[in-house]
Amino acid sequence: MANKKEETASFVVRFTQKIFQSEEGEAQVQWRGNIRHVQGGDEQRFSEFNNAVEFIKTKLADLTQKAVEDKPLEEQKGILSKSFDLWRKMAKDTPKMVVDTIKDPMKQISNVQSQVQDQISQVKDNITQTFEEKIGKNLEIDEWRGTTKSDYKNMMGLMEKMAEEISRLNDKVDELSKKI
Amino acid sequence: MLSFASQIEQLTSAEKMAAIRVQTLGTFQVWREEELISTKEWGRDKTIQLFQFFVTARHRHALHKEKIIDRIWEDVEGKSADQTFKVALHGVNKALEPNRKSRTEARFIKRQGITYQLNQKEVWIDVNALEDYIKIGNLAHLDEPKIAIQAYQKALTLYEGMYLPNRLYEDWSSEERERIQVLTLGALITLGELIVEENPMESIRLSQQALLIDHSWEDAYRLQMQAYLQKGNRPMAIKTYQQCQKVLDEEFGIAPLPETKQLFRQIQQR
Repeated sequence: MANKKEETASFVVRFTQKIFQSEEGEAQVQWRGNIRHVQGGDEQRFSEFNNAVEFIKTKLADLTQKAVEDKPLEEQKGILSKSFDLWRKMAKDTPKMVVDTIKDPMKQISNVQSQVQDQISQVKDNITQTFEEKIGKNLEIDEWRGTTKSDYKNMMGLMEKMAEEISRLNDKVDELSKKI
Repeated sequence: MLSFASQIEQLTSAEKMAAIRVQTLGTFQVWREEELISTKEWGRDKTIQLFQFFVTARHRHALHKEKIIDRIWEDVEGKSADQTFKVALHGVNKALEPNRKSRTEARFIKRQGITYQLNQKEVWIDVNALEDYIKIGNLAHLDEPKIAIQAYQKALTLYEGMYLPNRLYEDWSSEERERIQVLTLGALITLGELIVEENPMESIRLSQQALLIDHSWEDAYRLQMQAYLQKGNRPMAIKTYQQCQKVLDEEFGIAPLPETKQLFRQIQQR
């Protein structure tokens, strides 16, 4: 029987994200990966996640093969095939989101955004409903929007003008006070 | 709050003052006061392994005996596991405090019931210092570049090689090794970029050091191209780009980033 150490295969996976503008000016995301089999020390680099999956599969097959090498050939084949099936199932069931994110991060971000948007809409509907119940009329909540940069700029401009006016008024009051 | 310069001074003096100093990078060595603990004093490899595990798991509070055994000696079970742990722990304490009186509390390996922990206040560890220097470098990077340079240099002097190289194939040391390697790669490139104008030769050396850690690290190739360009060595800058292109194609099947390509075009136009 294999000892515990021979039953374990650990992998260290490193992803490096590169965000850049393509020569056509389009924003791009690239993942560069590095996977290392701890017990064996071998490593492989990849830009397609499937290559990492393939690397794991090979190392697990080696592990199984080593564990059954003293068994009859037919039995070895049977166990090896079961091991492959298990790995195929595990690789298939790997959280889809992780794999999808690696394959197409923008699409995943967009999926997450639409989920968040759905949540926001739901909250918005609830708020509208509560307000309507309280004040008894429909609210045009769609017309509400956050402060934009230009709103902020306008407000700052108006405040500056007001400050100037106040300062001018102060001067006038001072002059009048002197006359009195 | 202390200035960055004082923080560097404090870190440097902490190394000198420490009762126990541990080197994990490049090789494993431990000094008790000024004296190197010999292999003979450590005795069995399991003793060294247990101490290295305490160092690796230093950020985790209160490690249970069973968990420690399970992590480092997967093959040992039952009563034999308990005995192995007891012997190894005795070995660690004896190596660190050979003159400790029996039945007195250990100074460096703190015990609380069935949990154990390294007393970090009294033990200086190179990876802790490396991380602290890099932290100072990152914080001072924008406002005090000279201090940042000093901090990164201090950190990189400590990097004598990978984390616990004699445990490369051990599961429990992988996470820390990877973390330190990525931290170091970042420091090498940032320092190289900070000094590329005044000392391009040193930037070239730093980029080469980064490529020894990971030969597909594109930032290192770009830094090296910039440094050769700064030195006026156009042929070497071009050669570096070609090497980068070759490695990225072989390892990932991808081309260099537009940023790297643009630098290459700049070099060609000179």
